[in-house]
Amino acid sequence: MSTPRFPIPQGTLDMLILQIVSLEPAHGYGIAQRLQQISREAVQVNQGSLYPALHRLEQKGWLKSAWRQSETGREAKFYSLTRAGGKQLAIEKESWNRLTTAVRLIFNEGK
Amino acid sequence: MRRLLNLLRSKRGRMEQDLDRELRYHLDRRAEDLMKSGLSETEARRQAAVEFGGVAQVQEEVRDTWIWRWLDDRSRDIRYAFRTLLRSPGFTATAVLSLALGIGANAAIFSLLDQVLLRVLPVKEPERLVLLDWKGNPVSVNWGSGNLLSYPLCRDLQELDQFFDGVFCRHPTSAYLLTGQQPEPVSIEIVSGSYFRVLGVRPELGRLIDDSDDLRPEAHPVVVLSYNYWKNRLGGAPDVVGRKVLVNNRPMTVIGIAPAIFRGVDLGQGPALWIPAMMKRQATPEFNELFNRRAFWMHVFGRLKPGISAERVKAGLQPWFKSMLEADAQREGFPRVSEEQRRRYLASTIDVIPAARGRSDLRSRLEEPLFVLMTGTVLLLLLACVNVASLFLARAAARNLELTTRLALGASRGRITWQLLADSMLIALGGGLLGFLAAPAVSQVLLSFLSDDLSARIDQRVFVFTFLVTVAVGALCGLVPAFQVSRIALISSLKERARIAASGGVRLRKALVVGQVAFTLILLIGAGLFVRTLERLQTKGPGFASGSLLMFRADPVSNGYSDSNATQVMRELLAKLKDVPGVERVAVANSHLLTGGTSSSSMTIQSDKRIVTDRAVHYMRVSPGFFSTLGAQLVAGRDFEERDLRDRNSKETGSRSIIVSESFARRYFGGSSPIGHRLGFGNRPGTAANIEIVGVVRGFSRRNLRDEIEQAFVPFWDRDSGDGTFYVKVLGKPEAAFASIRAAVAQVDPVLPIVNMVTLDDQIDQSLTTERMLATLSSGFGAIALLLSVVGLYGVMSFVVTRRTQEIGIRMALGATRSTAMWLVVRDAVVMIGAGTATALPCVWALGRLVEAQLFGVRAVDGLTIAAASSLLALVALGAAMLPAWRAASVSPTEALRFE
Repeated sequence: MSTPRFPIPQGTLDMLILQIVSLEPAHGYGIAQRLQQISREAVQVNQGSLYPALHRLEQKGWLKSAWRQSETGREAKFYSLTRAGGKQLAIEKESWNRLTTAVRLIFNEGK
Repeated sequence: MRRLLNLLRSKRGRMEQDLDRELRYHLDRRAEDLMKSGLSETEARRQAAVEFGGVAQVQEEVRDTWIWRWLDDRSRDIRYAFRTLLRSPGFTATAVLSLALGIGANAAIFSLLDQVLLRVLPVKEPERLVLLDWKGNPVSVNWGSGNLLSYPLCRDLQELDQFFDGVFCRHPTSAYLLTGQQPEPVSIEIVSGSYFRVLGVRPELGRLIDDSDDLRPEAHPVVVLSYNYWKNRLGGAPDVVGRKVLVNNRPMTVIGIAPAIFRGVDLGQGPALWIPAMMKRQATPEFNELFNRRAFWMHVFGRLKPGISAERVKAGLQPWFKSMLEADAQREGFPRVSEEQRRRYLASTIDVIPAARGRSDLRSRLEEPLFVLMTGTVLLLLLACVNVASLFLARAAARNLELTTRLALGASRGRITWQLLADSMLIALGGGLLGFLAAPAVSQVLLSFLSDDLSARIDQRVFVFTFLVTVAVGALCGLVPAFQVSRIALISSLKERARIAASGGVRLRKALVVGQVAFTLILLIGAGLFVRTLERLQTKGPGFASGSLLMFRADPVSNGYSDSNATQVMRELLAKLKDVPGVERVAVANSHLLTGGTSSSSMTIQSDKRIVTDRAVHYMRVSPGFFSTLGAQLVAGRDFEERDLRDRNSKETGSRSIIVSESFARRYFGGSSPIGHRLGFGNRPGTAANIEIVGVVRGFSRRNLRDEIEQAFVPFWDRDSGDGTFYVKVLGKPEAAFASIRAAVAQVDPVLPIVNMVTLDDQIDQSLTTERMLATLSSGFGAIALLLSVVGLYGVMSFVVTRRTQEIGIRMALGATRSTAMWLVVRDAVVMIGAGTATALPCVWALGRLVEAQLFGVRAVDGLTIAAASSLLALVALGAAMLPAWRAASVSPTEALRFE
């Protein structure tokens, strides 16, 4: 926690959620934990704001949910990727890559 | 509906519960993890909540995503509904037009009903206004109709300030107003000085008549003009105040203009000007009894003190009224009356009638016809709804396969229900909008039958009414098929295709058709009754030869002539008219026939005994030759001659001779001849019966064609002969003589106005306006209803036939003939039509009471009309059923068996 955490850019939260859920079905708390672990705690997510995003993605048909037993034995709502969600993730990754490549090219110009 | 709401509510509840659980899980897990890292439980929970960032806010945000989803779905539904509706234009057009017809007619009739029956006067706190009326025997002489009192009584009532915040009186009449070239007759209101103050009306311009204009007779020559007259006839001239105008040829000063919204207290009688009661002599030259306590001609209104009810004021007024009666009976000049009449006079009471809507003869005339029409349009709307519902059922059945397939593919039942609702709401809104656009046109047609003092504008409340009806219709129509969808059993339905699933629908649709048949029959019978009434009246005719007659009114006495000069002008006119080429006969009488008005009085008959008539006798003053001009037949005795006129130089008052109608002779003389017996006007013991009956004439219509009254006629020239109506019998078309008659009148006096010149045939037509309106509109309703139910029946029958094609094929393969096959189908229709007729007949009997008063020559439950209407309906409906039946029976058996 020594490095300062920066807030997650607008619009990328959806993509990150899709990416995490694409690895394996997860519940909201799990997603929050993993977001922080994977990003080595560099990304700061206001944990509550995860849920509107999850519901929005579900309404869009990119995620589906089911109540299942969690690792603690208690029932939790698990989200998993739908086929449409998978396609969407691919599209978003693609455009993200193009964007970051372009940004890097601009930054590296003149070096 | 409740089921649907519950469904929605329970779904919402489940989603809330889920969200709650989900968030709690998160918070609990975080707190557990924090506790593992060494925090106390309370500290851990606090920290978890802080990291989470406001549970309530998160919940709100999640709910927002649901709402967006919901709205998104609905707009998707609406777009989908649009597309599917456009794909079946026949269905859409039929449904939308059905509703547009029903809703348009309702909006139009309701706006009219609202204007005529419901709207209160546009004045300050109209609910505190009351009308005062005499209950009992007033021993009075009356001018005008209904709820009359005298001007002195109005003055008396003005003193009673413990009950009233003011009392005013008014008398509607007409006068000749000259602001331009020629004087023209306009409606006027003669009012007390308190009129505008008590009503709380403020001037548009100048000032209004007030108490200072109500002091001395003939000393206040001022008038207030109506906004309409000022705008339309004077071009809204800003300098109008102070201008001189001529009222009945007397100069008067315009002191102000009334506001646009205020058109008097009498609906349908908007006056062009108001004039103070003190100017009565100028306003009504034919009678001037301003201070006579027994001259009843004014309608007296009061404004109740705040918080006092009309009932309490009525009770409170009686002691004052009783002492007034007793004082009045002692007064000098009180008429000599019988003990019986004096007792009835003293037992009179005063009535206090709520009058927020003012008083109106138009209203009492139209009240019943409008309710009849409203009933008709409500039936029509119901019929349209039934039609749309059954169209939707048919569609739901046809879309069964599509819907079950969508269900199987995972669409939720809720989603499909919404879909169907969107369909029906779109139809209903389309119908409502179209109906609303069409309503003013319908209203215009209606008004052509009624008064031009009403407006065809559809007001906002009516819009709301129409809109609510529309939405209700939409929900109703949409829900029926929606329930069916929620009953579809998925597996069996897919397996058996669209064939079986909608069997419940057929039963419902058959019930709807029965309803349609019943509604239609009621409307058709109503139409039949009104058409026959009109026809009966037209066949009956007025009792004289109207074809070659015209009449017009001339009024020299109100246009600057003295009484005797006016009579001279009338005589000159009569002589001049006789010389006009093409004119066969001319006569003059005191009034227009068939305008609804009359004068009446009870009479005393002196034959071998003295009797008083038990009904009022309607009398008229006519010149010699009147009956022959009209072509009314004298059945006994003779017409008037010059020798019948009273001697103007003697002290004689009243007439010497009288002619009675046949109905009068029959009622009061039985079989014997009345010629030579004597009559007197009035029923008092002192009434002199000294007018000799010289003739008996076959009766004719006086006020309207329905009249069955006793009539009497006295010589025109005996009195008040300074104005009257000329009756002219011409060779050829009476319209063609208008110009030459105008020219003849102009030779006598070029500026004398000719008023209400009409042919008698046109006047008869006009007197039948209400009857014609009812006949025309009810026939229209009947035809629309018939069309709607034919569409309904045809739809159901086609559907039934399609479902039974296989069965019919099998039967025909087994040897059934074409006609038995057809009968199989038609039998269904016969049962439905029969059931509909059976349902309608008791309703016709019950509704009969409503229309009875509007009928003539036909009873409300009339066998012939019922038989004719039922046969027409049965014939048309069977025709609609035969078509699909014939199609079914034409299918070859092999074709039918291959059908699946």
